[in-house]
Amino acid sequence: MKAAFRHLVRSRRRSILAAMAVVVPVWLLVLMLAMIGGMEQGLFASLTEYETGHLQVRAVGEGLAGGALPLILDPTPLLAAVEAGEAIAWYTLRLEAPALAASADRSLGVLVQGVRPEEAARISPLPGAVYEGRYLEADDDGVIVGEALLRSLGLSVGERVTLMGAHPRGGSGVTRATVVGAYRAPDPALERTLVQVDLGLAQRLVRTPGAITAVAGYVGDVDGPGDDWRISAAVAALQEALPPGYEALTWREVAPESAVLLRFMRPLVIGFMAAFFVLGGLVVLNTLSLSVLERTRELGIIRAVGAPRSWVMGHVLWEAGLLSLCGATVGAALGTGLVLGVQAAGGLPLPGAYQEGLAAFGVEPVLSLRITPLEVALSAMAMVAVGLVAAWYPARRAARLDPVETMRYDE
Amino acid sequence: MTSEVLIRASGLHKVYKTGQVETPALNGVDLEVPRGEFGGMAGPSGSGKSTLLHLLGALDKPTAGEVFLEGTAVSGQSEAALSSLRLHKVGFVFQAYNLIPVLTVLENTAFVLELQGVPPRKRENQALEILEELGVAQYKDQFPNRLSGGEQQRVAVARAVASGPSIVLADEPTANLDTKTSLDLIDLMRRLNQDHHTTFLFATHDTRLLDRVDRVVYMEDGKITRDDRRS
Repeated sequence: MKAAFRHLVRSRRRSILAAMAVVVPVWLLVLMLAMIGGMEQGLFASLTEYETGHLQVRAVGEGLAGGALPLILDPTPLLAAVEAGEAIAWYTLRLEAPALAASADRSLGVLVQGVRPEEAARISPLPGAVYEGRYLEADDDGVIVGEALLRSLGLSVGERVTLMGAHPRGGSGVTRATVVGAYRAPDPALERTLVQVDLGLAQRLVRTPGAITAVAGYVGDVDGPGDDWRISAAVAALQEALPPGYEALTWREVAPESAVLLRFMRPLVIGFMAAFFVLGGLVVLNTLSLSVLERTRELGIIRAVGAPRSWVMGHVLWEAGLLSLCGATVGAALGTGLVLGVQAAGGLPLPGAYQEGLAAFGVEPVLSLRITPLEVALSAMAMVAVGLVAAWYPARRAARLDPVETMRYDE
Repeated sequence: MTSEVLIRASGLHKVYKTGQVETPALNGVDLEVPRGEFGGMAGPSGSGKSTLLHLLGALDKPTAGEVFLEGTAVSGQSEAALSSLRLHKVGFVFQAYNLIPVLTVLENTAFVLELQGVPPRKRENQALEILEELGVAQYKDQFPNRLSGGEQQRVAVARAVASGPSIVLADEPTANLDTKTSLDLIDLMRRLNQDHHTTFLFATHDTRLLDRVDRVVYMEDGKITRDDRRS
């Protein structure tokens, strides 16, 4: 190992250049993973905290017209199961149903979402996204609508909107409610369709008092997608405890389109980064091939005095390992340093349009970086492994040098 | 001096092949090297001295014939066994010194001991002892490129004898040295031969060295033409 280290020091310039080729992929991978980690965290937070919860309990049922969820007429037995679940820190109730929102001269199809306003700040982005008027209060008879819907209906905050609710398994109800607040959302479709009301009002709209469509649950000690296993475990346990006719779903099952994004983002980036790792490996291969070529005679002498092939091979692999380890360590340190720096600065500010959109959804308007020590270590170890694989060929060639031939080499 | 045969070469032939071209280097060599001998091989360039040295030192295998090193037939051995044979029984000294440039004088000397698995403290002591004997212990922490040719060759001899091999094979060890340095080195090797009964076999043109050996084997065209024993 000592000799391998000194060989690297002897060819300092070449070693530094080779190490740079190792530094860059690791540095980039750490940064990319941190960006993905931040994005995953943001997406996870916005999805689970504001839309799906970590898990949901729903009634099992076939797809209903308008994409409506089956009604749970009496949630008492399943709430008992949810409350008995030790992993579930808290839960809230929801009722979602298709409805028609109408003003004096226009009507549009909407999704009425009945929530408990006093709990909404924990489960919905809308309380923070209201730009005019106010958010709902407990037992409120008002509604919150998106800016786009408000414009389409030609209404203003304070005016009344007619809601005609219907559920295929419930009934149809009509109410005229005051628009108490308007919100903005990054997704125009959401702004046009989502109308939030008090749970009681939603139940009246489907003429089914006490009914809900889902229980959204939150599992303790969950900080990000890395804690998914806790959610899965809670769902599995809950599924066992639920009475027949109900199913427990993870947030990935509730919002599969977003979960797919999370599932593919990381492998895609890692696949892309693999190309940089291969390039780094090729530089290591080139460096060690040159090193072996330069030292043909020296390695031949080492073989001549009795060093077995395995020793020579190990010697070259040590060089590759040290080179890769130094480069990978520096790359990992630089990457981690930058991540920590960005974290300390509160994240990277995003361009204006993103800022408004994210802020509207209660997400910090910055690009957060997030990486675990394990990911940093694995990034560095992957580069060392690539370096060792790349060094295999020159190491094998060095080990197979014929001492007699090599002693003639520079004669 | 004992007459026990250390190395016996019998009917050695060596042919080098380069593509379709065959170049005979040895044409039937029979030789016995007794333990403790301080011998030399002389002959013009291309006479087969170095080739014979390589075969005797298990660096290469003969095309025909056999080499017995302390009774062990070399040609049937695997590559790993040959390495082990060289490691434990043969010391090499080369014309160009061939020290490992990134190791210090002490580390170079202890290198073979390290390969043999001798514990660090013990091999350092052993290496230091031989460096002192060869008068280069003061350079133990220097790298070879800081030493003169003569000093480097002394270190090379130290490396060759540090592990107490059965024989030291030296290929033109004095060719790059001036007369005084050569004579000093020859005297040192002679002393090692006498004090430690280390067998030395040189391949050399150098008459300064050939004048001081017990026996000179003359070679020409891959054959031994004369075997001149002086003691």
